[in-house]
Amino acid sequence: MSRFASKPGNSTMSRAPHIEITRGLLALGCIALLSGCASSSATRDPSDPWEPMNRPFYNFNDAIDRNFFTPIAKGYVKVTPQPVRSGVTKFFDNVGYLNVIANDLLQGKVGDFASDTGRFVVNSTVGIGGLFDPATGLGMPAHDEDFGQTLGKWGAGEGRYMVLPLMGPNSLRDLPGIGTSMALNPLTYLNPVVTIPLGAINAINARANLLEASNIRDQAALDPYTFVREAYRQQREFKIYDGNPPTDDFDDYIDQGEAESAADDAAVLKVY
Amino acid sequence: MSQPFRPAHRWTVFIRSCALLLCGALANAAVAADAPAPTAVVEKLHGTLLTMMKDAATLGYEGRVNMVAPVLDGTFDFETIGRVVTGRYWKDFIADTRDRFVATFARLSAATYADNFDGYAGETFETLSEEVKKGAALVKTRIVKRDGKPVSLNYVLNQRDGEWRIVNVIADGVSDLALKRSEYGAVIAKEGIDALIAKLNAKIASYAAAKT
Repeated sequence: MSRFASKPGNSTMSRAPHIEITRGLLALGCIALLSGCASSSATRDPSDPWEPMNRPFYNFNDAIDRNFFTPIAKGYVKVTPQPVRSGVTKFFDNVGYLNVIANDLLQGKVGDFASDTGRFVVNSTVGIGGLFDPATGLGMPAHDEDFGQTLGKWGAGEGRYMVLPLMGPNSLRDLPGIGTSMALNPLTYLNPVVTIPLGAINAINARANLLEASNIRDQAALDPYTFVREAYRQQREFKIYDGNPPTDDFDDYIDQGEAESAADDAAVLKVY
Repeated sequence: MSQPFRPAHRWTVFIRSCALLLCGALANAAVAADAPAPTAVVEKLHGTLLTMMKDAATLGYEGRVNMVAPVLDGTFDFETIGRVVTGRYWKDFIADTRDRFVATFARLSAATYADNFDGYAGETFETLSEEVKKGAALVKTRIVKRDGKPVSLNYVLNQRDGEWRIVNVIADGVSDLALKRSEYGAVIAKEGIDALIAKLNAKIASYAAAKT
């Protein structure tokens, strides 16, 4: 996504938006500093100490998303039939799958490692470079692993929440995963003549797949920043447990009566 | 799936009624045992959602709200939900404020369901498991789409006066209550509960406006 968005010199794009963006960034930086001082500790979430910096980046990303990516993604959905988009999604999932395989191994998931290796081989060959997914039908379903999940599995805490410019929600624990997923993606090592257009297609296609989710966010959220942060955190937690978090204490909230502090009711809020 | 809960047979009801008359204490237990199981409660909701999706166009937005609202009232424990999403502020609210908040929240839930379940593309609901402990239950389900990955949908239920009611919905790992609690807590802290209720009402209005 970053590769695409930061690529200037596109013939259809004038210079003005860039100046605009730079100016916007400066302005947002100022707002960050100001709001950092202005907002009182009572209204700030202690679990998100970098909010004064994160929020402007969130707004910046959101502005770019609304003005560039969303219209492009919508246009892309209009001009491409569903099977094509499905093939594009599968291709990029497959080409990034070495990262899943490596993290299977790092988490000691021997069975998944074997099945995912088979999946990669089958889909890369029989599935014509990953455009199709015959492996699922052969009993080798897709898994979702990355280095951030591995660190979580190893016991690392979530780390501070952060919003990266152009890349969106992240955390200190998930940050190193950007490096490993790039390093283990074969596309990284190809000529930029190939990787830049492919990266662009991937970004647009990935954004198109999220149109429904962003719709829900736009309609449901009172404060989209908080909404995205909480959803991100919970979904990451859920993924670390591969969708089956421990359920020992889902009845804890029953005996608590009225909530006295923010720590109460934790059980019912959990991600089972 | 659309008929998840079958009413008890007439003579069973009769015998049970006799039991009720005979022994008050035992009768209470019988009523509790007779209440639909957690899975049945969730499947009742799913059945309604499925009907709503299939008849979305003919029902229209208003029709969907009217269809789902009474079902939500019978399947959700909005009182507990209201307490949890307002967290530490709940105990400071007077009864009237609590009632207003809970009623608004229930209306928002109906509006959200009516808005989200506005069409049918071959989706099915599957119940995967039920786990019951003390007064709480966890029902795991998923929505299977024709094309694409299934979405995990887990429900936490609370037993209140012998009846199972939903208190939390966790969609693909995202706990609806936790999300709302974070957002609502921030609004209450900054602007107060009345501002929050006004914002929820504005949301409801915007759902309705988008569909007309």
